[in-house]
Amino acid sequence: MPLTELTTCSEPSTTIRCRVRTGLGWCGWLAWVLGNCVLLGSPSLRAPADAAPTVSFRNDVMAVLSKGGCASGPCHGNRQGKGGFRISLRGEDPSEDYQTLIQDLAGRRLDRQSPEDSLLLLKPTGLVPHEGRVRFEPNSLEYGILERWIREGARSDVATAPRLTALAVEPREPVLHAPVESFQLRVLAQFEDGTSQDVTRLAVYEPVAPIVDVTVGGRATFRQEGETTILVRYLDRQEAVRAAHVPSRDRVWSWQLPTPANAVDALIYEKLKRLRLEPSARCSDEEFLRRVFLDLCGILPTANEARGFVADSTPDKRTRVVEALLDRPEFAEYWALKWADLFRLEERALDKKGVQLFHEWLVQQVVDNTPLDVFARSVLTARGSTYAVPAANWFRSHRTAVERSEAVAQVFLGARLQCAQCHNHPYERWTQNDYHDWTAAFAKVDYKVIENLRRDDNDKHEFVGEQLIHVVSKAEHKHPRSGKVCSPRLLGQGEALNDSMGDPLLPLADWLVRPENPLFARAQANRIWYHLMGRGLVDPIDDFRSTNPASHPELLETLAQELIAARFDIRHLIRRITASRSYQASSVPRAGQPEDPLNYSHAIVRRLTAEQILDSASQAAGVPLDFVGRPVGTRSAQLPSAESERRRGRKDRGNSGADLDIFLKAFGKPPRQLTTECERNGEPAMNQVFQLISGPTLQEFVSIEDNRLKTLLASGKPLENLLDELYWSVLTRPPSEFERQTLLTYLQVATDGSARRAAMEDILWGLLNSKEFVLRR
Amino acid sequence: MNPMLKGGCFDATRYSRRHLLRVGGLGMLGLNLPGLLRAEAMKKPSGPKPRAKSVIFLYQFGGPSQLDTFDMKPDAPEAVRSPHKAIASKADGIQVSERLPAMARVMDKVTLVRSVHHTMLNHNSASYYALTGKAPPLDDIRLRDTADLMPAYGSVVDALSPVAESELPTFVSYPHIIRDGSVTPGQHASFLGKLHDPLLITRDPNAVDFSLPELSLPAGLSYERLSARRELQKVIDAQTRLMDHAAAARGLDSYYEKAMAMLHSTRLREAFNLSAEPDAIRERYGRHTYGQGCLLARRLVEAGIKFVTVYFSETIGGQSTENGGWDTHGFNNTRMYPIIEKRHLPITDQTLPTLLNDLDERGLLQETLVLWMGEFGRTPKINGNISRDHWPYCYTVLMAGGGVKRGYVHGASDRNGAYPAEAPVRPDDLAATVYQLLGIDPRAEILNAQNRPMFIAEGAPIAGVMA
Repeated sequence: MPLTELTTCSEPSTTIRCRVRTGLGWCGWLAWVLGNCVLLGSPSLRAPADAAPTVSFRNDVMAVLSKGGCASGPCHGNRQGKGGFRISLRGEDPSEDYQTLIQDLAGRRLDRQSPEDSLLLLKPTGLVPHEGRVRFEPNSLEYGILERWIREGARSDVATAPRLTALAVEPREPVLHAPVESFQLRVLAQFEDGTSQDVTRLAVYEPVAPIVDVTVGGRATFRQEGETTILVRYLDRQEAVRAAHVPSRDRVWSWQLPTPANAVDALIYEKLKRLRLEPSARCSDEEFLRRVFLDLCGILPTANEARGFVADSTPDKRTRVVEALLDRPEFAEYWALKWADLFRLEERALDKKGVQLFHEWLVQQVVDNTPLDVFARSVLTARGSTYAVPAANWFRSHRTAVERSEAVAQVFLGARLQCAQCHNHPYERWTQNDYHDWTAAFAKVDYKVIENLRRDDNDKHEFVGEQLIHVVSKAEHKHPRSGKVCSPRLLGQGEALNDSMGDPLLPLADWLVRPENPLFARAQANRIWYHLMGRGLVDPIDDFRSTNPASHPELLETLAQELIAARFDIRHLIRRITASRSYQASSVPRAGQPEDPLNYSHAIVRRLTAEQILDSASQAAGVPLDFVGRPVGTRSAQLPSAESERRRGRKDRGNSGADLDIFLKAFGKPPRQLTTECERNGEPAMNQVFQLISGPTLQEFVSIEDNRLKTLLASGKPLENLLDELYWSVLTRPPSEFERQTLLTYLQVATDGSARRAAMEDILWGLLNSKEFVLRR
Repeated sequence: MNPMLKGGCFDATRYSRRHLLRVGGLGMLGLNLPGLLRAEAMKKPSGPKPRAKSVIFLYQFGGPSQLDTFDMKPDAPEAVRSPHKAIASKADGIQVSERLPAMARVMDKVTLVRSVHHTMLNHNSASYYALTGKAPPLDDIRLRDTADLMPAYGSVVDALSPVAESELPTFVSYPHIIRDGSVTPGQHASFLGKLHDPLLITRDPNAVDFSLPELSLPAGLSYERLSARRELQKVIDAQTRLMDHAAAARGLDSYYEKAMAMLHSTRLREAFNLSAEPDAIRERYGRHTYGQGCLLARRLVEAGIKFVTVYFSETIGGQSTENGGWDTHGFNNTRMYPIIEKRHLPITDQTLPTLLNDLDERGLLQETLVLWMGEFGRTPKINGNISRDHWPYCYTVLMAGGGVKRGYVHGASDRNGAYPAEAPVRPDDLAATVYQLLGIDPRAEILNAQNRPMFIAEGAPIAGVMA
């Protein structure tokens, strides 16, 4: 592409940069884009007479190095460089790159006398062999910029060139309806001196999923239907475009959107309408009850509860059952379990007593409905004995400043900082300095081991005994690169944290939960949404960043604001979400529509968690769990520690002690070594199926003499009633007519008592192994 | 026993067993196995002549140092060469580390490829490359284990050339799911469908009570009765039709089919019975997780399982003599050499020669390809911590048996072991070689997550290593 493509201005030969004074204004630019009056190369932009006539190193050459892919991780942006040429990753450091270009190889890289002989031009055009192959042609815009820069003396304007202040990309959320499958991206760069420039041709386009191709000129064409994010980068800025390509679905307007139950639905439906997806019907009472019991309390409704609910004809019964569940102890235990995962409650680091105390404290916080801000603050400011101040155990399970600073960012702010420990993440918000200054705030809290009765002297991670969490004002954290002591700072904030008490975590905790800090409320709202809806609006839920945008940004913001307005009351948000039609939608997609994992047009079918399956199966079969050191009937969701305790070897059962532990592990109970929900794995796997088919735990539920079947058979009721009762207990519904007929026949052919019991066992096995039992729908 | 399960009575009823079976097949139930359909849709060209019946993949997570194992550079500058001496081995001209004396005695049975190279510097990206032969889309710690990534070797083998016996899994892996921060991609079937996932064992084969109770039926439950139960399950599943619209349900059901067949197999159960091995043999392999894992690998290939992956460690490690892999940077004031001298090299020198000899003595080495490799090598230059960092630009992979040459070196590194000096080999070529040896055409196609055909290996088989 000739050099003049970008700049067909009146003085094309002298102008590379074609800036528009903001006199045209932002709205003017939008109008210009929308009016589609400018296509690439069309001569409607005019450089003002005083525009700099030279190529800018900082703003033009650096852009070319990114556009050509030269500064990417696999090429010269690699830490080791490539072929002896190393530049900063994605152009993060222009001044260093300038030095690299002009100094290395005795100037062979740049030949000012004869620019076309510069390696900088010979290599990417493939005129001399280049492992990275041809990056651009000699008649391209890229070539023109580099050639001209060299010819003009290869000067650096790193210090003086106007800095990029914003990148505006249009369209932001295109939805393409087949047969339309491509669209043009437009990128406008704004600089600090008030000028702006169309950089569509030099921006870099990177689709997150390989379902769309983008040309160098920013034309995006879908290869198939789907939805993805396209990252648009220019210099040190990046924006994300969420693009969808959907079938024409012509019949679409034969249906009407249901009336939104609340703001949640309004925003969900807005997107469904654009995608031409029809939301599924409202789920049945049976489905709703089972769903809400599992989501809120991790257990099943009993047969009586379920029949009562279905028979109830009052219109607000769904709201009332949610209200009742929010008050149950199982709710507190089930939601405390989520915190116990995140806070890494396990006995090796915290010891048995510490885990017990910390866990009781967590449950009590949910029982008391402690607002999330108060909750987070009390964890970060807990000081004193780990036996006297339960929340202080958090500092014991996160022993280093690095672990703590990363965990707080991840759990409370939804930000994964790990990359920034070692390097700046170009285009991501947090720099390496941000990371280490933030971490420094956590370095002043130390733990004093009062005693350690560890059983294994070689295990340096085992602590048994009391510890004292206290402030050590002279403790400090050093930057790994400069070796300089970092001054504690809020994440990404300017001023240092100066606290007369010498404990920077006190002001940090205040800042963390302030309503003005948008990250906290968003991350918490997203987590609650995830636990109820099966997918975070930002997914994974602890990975908020510009390059991983929310599927429904406005909804996320609305939920966050609601949470703030409700003073961080999680029950409030749970009420709002469960009241929506979107939460109450059936899991069956509308006829002719595909399974939709992203946009909540139907409920997402997902496997129950380890604790949900074990506790539900135990309840349904009427066989209480028996963990060592716990009262018989303790549910697995009540266990405080990662390692579920071993069950007593009961002679009459003959099972080995580790069975329940293995069961929970197979279904993804996390070891709590990492601070992330991802550690809890919901993937089905072969070993889970073996647990369900022939594992000792399920086998015991089915065959132990003293289970629900015994009660049922002893009741003397007709077989039909027994079957009914069993279905309500296990699946929260009556058998269908077909099931009733088939299974009754199965039971009737068994005439004597033991054969009938065996037939009932087979049916119970079938129910516990059904998809309907194992999956939440 | 329920008389309905006995022939006579059962047939007299309106709802025959066959009827139940048919119900199970309604509404695409049981038929809609995405993996099966996908596999059927794929071309299965008649492959090359198989040289190996099975593969044992010994994966060395963390990245072993080529310069301290199989590519010694005794003449390199002090800043590069290993503090350990190079010793001659039983194969002419092939030297190994003095810390691998038993290995030296079996070098006449192996092929070394000393010129393997790529550019991935992150453990997860590089491991994905090593475990699948497919270059990852990005070299980034955030490479996630998503369904659009390439399946593991064993899963591809299961899709294209599964074991003939339905009672056996094609692909078994143990004793960990490896992870570096997040789960390392490349360990399962990915877009091929869960049906082709490995049978994953996370129990410790070195545990005294190692057994797989899941693989045996509980006392008092016959296989016939279990089959009847499965029919009842299908009746119930037919009601909600979850499998029609939820991928989660379909995935689960395909597992049931396979699990039922495996439960029926005594052969499989016996293969996992490590206690059937004489104590002397168990000692020879080493009473540690990895050693017993290698022994188990031999039993599994003996039983006919096609692809066995043994992970050396769950994590990249490198900072402990007790656990973890080969990632010896010298971080946190540790030092590489004391650690590999105490842990990695002794374990390797005990297990690998034992496995090769054991296979050879049983006549199994001929038909079993043993692959020993990590995700990358380590920096030629010893770092400030007297340790070595990541180095994917040139490292060594060891292969033995299954149709590769004995006592042979393919390719060479330069004088410091830094870059390939001759015959560079990419992981893509290793993939093609493994498939070729198994009799699977490396140009066979599978359908990816977008239903687009792709080659199972982008590289070319390394003709030089073939016996």
